[in-house]
Amino acid sequence: MSTQTRTSSWKPLVELPENIWRSIFRNPLPSSDLGRASTSFTNFFLHLHPVKVHRHSLRATFTWGLGLISFFLFFILVVTGILLMFYYVPSTAQAYDRMLDLRGTVAFGIFLRNMHRWSAHGMVAAVFLHMCRVFLTGSYKPPREFNWVLGVFLLLVTLFLSFTGYLLPWDQLAFWAITVGTSIASYAPLVGKQVKFILLGDSTVGQEALLRFYVLHVAVLPVVLSLLVAIHFWRIRKDGGLSRPEEEDAPANEPPARLELVQAPAVVMATSSAAAAAAEPVLQKRQYGIQGIVRGPFTKVGNAPDRSVFSWPNLFMAELVVFLITLAGVLAVSLFFNAPLEEPVNVMHPPNPAKAPWYFLGLQEQVSYSAFWGGVGIPTIEVLLLLIVPYIDRKVAGVGRWFARERLLANFLFLTFVIVNVFLIVIGTFFRGPNWEFVSPW
Amino acid sequence: MKIPKKPLTEEGGDSLTRRRLLSWLSGFGLFGSFIITVFSNLIFIKPRATYGQPNRFSIGRPEDFPSGARLSLDERRVCIVRDGDKIAAISTTCTHLGCIVSVSETGFACPCHGSRYDQDGNVTGGPAPRALPWYQVSLAPNGEIEVDKDSEIEAGNYLRV
Repeated sequence: MSTQTRTSSWKPLVELPENIWRSIFRNPLPSSDLGRASTSFTNFFLHLHPVKVHRHSLRATFTWGLGLISFFLFFILVVTGILLMFYYVPSTAQAYDRMLDLRGTVAFGIFLRNMHRWSAHGMVAAVFLHMCRVFLTGSYKPPREFNWVLGVFLLLVTLFLSFTGYLLPWDQLAFWAITVGTSIASYAPLVGKQVKFILLGDSTVGQEALLRFYVLHVAVLPVVLSLLVAIHFWRIRKDGGLSRPEEEDAPANEPPARLELVQAPAVVMATSSAAAAAAEPVLQKRQYGIQGIVRGPFTKVGNAPDRSVFSWPNLFMAELVVFLITLAGVLAVSLFFNAPLEEPVNVMHPPNPAKAPWYFLGLQEQVSYSAFWGGVGIPTIEVLLLLIVPYIDRKVAGVGRWFARERLLANFLFLTFVIVNVFLIVIGTFFRGPNWEFVSPW
Repeated sequence: MKIPKKPLTEEGGDSLTRRRLLSWLSGFGLFGSFIITVFSNLIFIKPRATYGQPNRFSIGRPEDFPSGARLSLDERRVCIVRDGDKIAAISTTCTHLGCIVSVSETGFACPCHGSRYDQDGNVTGGPAPRALPWYQVSLAPNGEIEVDKDSEIEAGNYLRV
């Protein structure tokens, strides 16, 4: 070593680019299983993933990538949202003018606003569909009950984020949707009036409400959502990865040995010491250490044959594809459709009918029959049922398959809930005209 | 600081040692502080002063409202009703979902979801769950009429001027 450095004092300089590159990315592009494992392990972003992932979890027709789509839409929302913040002012005097500026003077302003608006709608839809996927494949069952609960809270925070964002353009659509929406909240027993007052900072929607919704929308709720998402992702791994049928765990060429696998000792994964060993020329001196213990028959390195594949590149490529499809979809929709912007707020003249955002139109339809039961009673019961379902339906049967026959009743009840809500939203969106009277969209 | 000789697990089970008492007290203190923090924050975000329209305001002298007038002040969201020497203020905020009701032939009508009210604000149709509230009306020392939207009164209670 020392003789080499003396012969060329330029060596550090010549090697500078490579050394810098190596200091950032510890591993060259992997060509061996060991390299693939250590690439996942030593990269900050990749180490959120397991080193190996089950083939079943990679099936597009099992997950439809809905959780990832929700997350990527949230990512797009954060980026476009921060950019929009550079030009937005949460003031009743200025907000609407800033919307017009986005349309008229700000470079890419209208495009960014379109992306933000359509991603927000898309995220509400994707999160809901993700919930349907998890239910209809029985994936909320033990040991994944708590992650389902987190998911229900994520749905609620997503709805609230979208709702707070709805007011910010300060146009007629925004103003009356929030007026109607917060009035629904005031029907809650005991605390309803207080909640509405605290939410609006006043008795009616005005400057205080705009400022409050802005703070909730750009600071409070994104932080809450990010934290919940982090725990949600972390729990996926700690709960043994995505759900899959038991027979999928059987080694490919052996008779099913489920019991053996379940009772197997702590599962051991390759560590960074393995990566260090890989860098050394003497490959025989491979070392393995205990990096983490994963519950359940999941990630294994150098263990019995199973049906898992390395995350690099299988999982990461799949994620990249889902991201690109999501981004392409948002870009395409934003190119062809502009986010709505109505007249500036006129407190004296509510549009007729005044409608809440589409995902609350089912609620509004219910409210037109009974303010308390439609707006507060039934939604509360629905959320409570969603929260408690994994603690009631605990039988681990038909997990990891769509519409498993063992879960006929649960799936039937859930689909009824979904269809009724979608039906109410469709009625509220297309079939209600002035004075909330029944109209035909044709 | 003196290092305790006995490890924690060997402490007497039921007897209230100093360590046990202190941990209970500090646990109680921490939990109490947490509760106080939550409540302080709630008190903080509930505004003491609102910056929008005041809820108690003057609407002018009684002479401004001729007998039989039903004048809707949309910005204030009240309708001033004068009948002979009696005067009253009825809310024009729909009790259903907060839209502004307009004065109609038969009373009030809401453009949003079709709620209808009679002249006194009682519900006659639509999804509204309750009648339009009446607000306290009083005569200020300077001879002007004051409406206080913070105090609701029974329907039919007029101010005589």
